[in-house]
Amino acid sequence: MRMSEAIPHGRIAELYNPEMFRNYDEVIVFTKEEFNRTYRSMTEQIDYIQKVEMHLDRSEQWKLIGYWTKILERINILDLNINLMLKKEPMQCYLDAYLYNTIKSSKNKVAASPRKIPTQSKLNI
Amino acid sequence: MKYSYGIMDRNRIILYKPQLFIKTNDLLVFPSKDFHKWHGDLKEYIDGLYQINSINMEKGKSININELNLATGLLSNITEELQNLFDPERTPDFHYQYVSTLDDEYTKRRVHCYTSDMMKCDMRIPVKPGITPWQKHHNMMEIIDHAARELTMARRKKQKKLTDLID
Repeated sequence: MRMSEAIPHGRIAELYNPEMFRNYDEVIVFTKEEFNRTYRSMTEQIDYIQKVEMHLDRSEQWKLIGYWTKILERINILDLNINLMLKKEPMQCYLDAYLYNTIKSSKNKVAASPRKIPTQSKLNI
Repeated sequence: MKYSYGIMDRNRIILYKPQLFIKTNDLLVFPSKDFHKWHGDLKEYIDGLYQINSINMEKGKSININELNLATGLLSNITEELQNLFDPERTPDFHYQYVSTLDDEYTKRRVHCYTSDMMKCDMRIPVKPGITPWQKHHNMMEIIDHAARELTMARRKKQKKLTDLID
């Protein structure tokens, strides 16, 4: 789908990629942050369901129904998210999606500064 | 979610509801017809997943492997659609548009979700450290006591029969 980012200026939105759209095209405009949250939440639910399906043992039939209810919970959240995109109410479920997410710290080592500034000389006390 | 329609005019967009975006500096713009088609497609896949569920739950059957595989297939379709959103090469097929006709009842969440089947999945049976020697001894003594009781009762019945015969 053709897509562009934009910046609002009062009644007008300035496009980053105006060549994507033709003149007199009707467009729908979202805030990047909200759309990002909803989209991310959807991808997370799908990742979770795929992980559950990868880990379940398909030979144990009697366990399937238990896993299915867990999968169905996530499908519910997926449904809520997709409905939310075209609803005019404010978002409520994004908190559920972000509650158990921890941002892992990067393992890149931060390079030490080549110039070592002695702290004593900078304090003006 | 806050959204507004707009119209493209000389390389910029005229927003119909600019008051929603006063506090934001970043917007995402999609062609509205394409977006509605994409939205309808996703709704169609999700409704399909609910239908797999409702067929089983109505008759009280349990879910089996084939249905799980169907659900996996639908999920991969959903993933593909999500990726297509940001692919400018893909043009949507406007030959049909899906409108969701699924009753709200099918998408209602069950209140007490943790069923006994889920408990069976989560339950871990401790094997190694669980059984102590005392427990083994105690178990043996219980079996012996029970056997002794059974024996005495059987003996008493036998004696009673003998005495009845003699009398």
